[in-house]
Amino acid sequence: MRGAARGDPDAAAALFRRHWHDAWRAAYALTRRRALADDVAADAFERAFAALGRFDDRRPFAPWLHRIVANRALDLLRAERRLAYEEPLEPADLRPDHGSGDRGLLGAVADLTVERRVVVVLRYGVGMTPKEIAAALDLPVGTVNSRLARALEELREALEVEHVE
Amino acid sequence: MSSDLERRLEGFLREAPEPGPEVGERALARALRALEVPARLPRRRLRAVAILAAAALVLLGLAAGSLAAAGALHVSFGHPRKHTTAPARTLTLPRGADGIAAVVDGRLSVVTRGGFRLQGLPVTAAALSPHALYVAAGIGDSLVAMKPDGRHAWSHAAGGKVVAIAWAPDGLRIAYVVKGESGLVLRTIWGNGTHDSVVDRAVRRVTPSWRADSLAFAYVGAGGRAIVHDVFHQKSMVVPGSSAAVSQVAFAPAGSRLSTGAGGKAVGWLDGAAAVVRGDEIVLTRAPLSVRLQPLRLGGPILSFEASGSTFAAVVGGHDPRIVAGTAKTFSPVLALPRGARVQAVVVS
Repeated sequence: MRGAARGDPDAAAALFRRHWHDAWRAAYALTRRRALADDVAADAFERAFAALGRFDDRRPFAPWLHRIVANRALDLLRAERRLAYEEPLEPADLRPDHGSGDRGLLGAVADLTVERRVVVVLRYGVGMTPKEIAAALDLPVGTVNSRLARALEELREALEVEHVE
Repeated sequence: MSSDLERRLEGFLREAPEPGPEVGERALARALRALEVPARLPRRRLRAVAILAAAALVLLGLAAGSLAAAGALHVSFGHPRKHTTAPARTLTLPRGADGIAAVVDGRLSVVTRGGFRLQGLPVTAAALSPHALYVAAGIGDSLVAMKPDGRHAWSHAAGGKVVAIAWAPDGLRIAYVVKGESGLVLRTIWGNGTHDSVVDRAVRRVTPSWRADSLAFAYVGAGGRAIVHDVFHQKSMVVPGSSAAVSQVAFAPAGSRLSTGAGGKAVGWLDGAAAVVRGDEIVLTRAPLSVRLQPLRLGGPILSFEASGSTFAAVVGGHDPRIVAGTAKTFSPVLALPRGARVQAVVVS
């Protein structure tokens, strides 16, 4: 981390490789499309590396990176939604019919609204606490908790329907 | 208390697919470039760069001012008063134009006469329709048409990233290049998002250019030669005498003259005139009386021509020279400039 912050390309490349897959998967779960996930994850690393010199290296890198991933994904999804007036511009790659079990869970998460999806991905996919999510998304902790509760309720219903079918 | 659902959720990201290996390598290269600037530029050098940039801006302003005062040229670089940090990302509508769109660093900016403004949308390519009624853009793996106020008109699954788009002057067709698994494919689609068809399965990444009558367009084939495709007869013809390394094509806004750019130089054939641009040098190799050449240097060489009763300009800028030709009314809608280059809007009145 310190080497990367000093501009050492080998240290920076090692830092990238340690976090790239997790960042991309989080971006994919948020955006539901490979192409968008590619853009979001690459943008997030570019921004993180550009600001690495100012980053406090006593803090962990991953939560900071995921915060950038989440906000970048939200920016893109909101821009799309604003343009499309809630119509999806293209179908998501991720759907519940990809399978059962956790494949079905991944699809059910994909069908949540973007506001609920982002808190679920950050809480359970990335492992952030509600307080950290609130700070990352600039939301009150209460809002994060209520979105999580509603998202879990919606997921339970979706998975029950899937189980019955 | 952790529920069964929450325990399942804790591992759900592991079920997500893996990113493509080439995506990671590209992202790493981008990230390392972002790392380079603060790490490798010492403070003294940064100061020197800032002083040089400021001097260049002053010279640029003086040049633009004197040209504008002479009434020969209108140059717009956006809103310098408001956007001092990122002038290249803000567009000002050229006088007499219906709209202008630009893609800079993968972000789309659109401004229309109706006052609509889009800014910062990530796209892979974009083009305005005639009269700036719609903008077609590559978003993800789709070709998307939207109104300049952002309303969605239609989207078409392109099967890959759309890397170049050209809307016909009559608005009825769009020619676009898709980067698919098998390479770059040239396709056309009607302006309403239907009747998609393949024109050529092996082309180069060059934005096609429509002829003024909308019945044909030029593109660059895989061999690097300029090709004109007749959409009415569904026939293609290699442009006679075309170089084998054409990097740009541009039909004149009136008539049927075609300009092509090759390698690091741009060559224009306009009413019998031939002009060659090499870096900042402009060489007129054959000049009939109807052609006026202005070897201006304003962020890149600018050629202005009078041909067929109309005046238009060809702008070549940055490290990736492009010809942009148009009259005040039919200003070429999209400038795709390399990273770090300025967006330039030039109208010869």
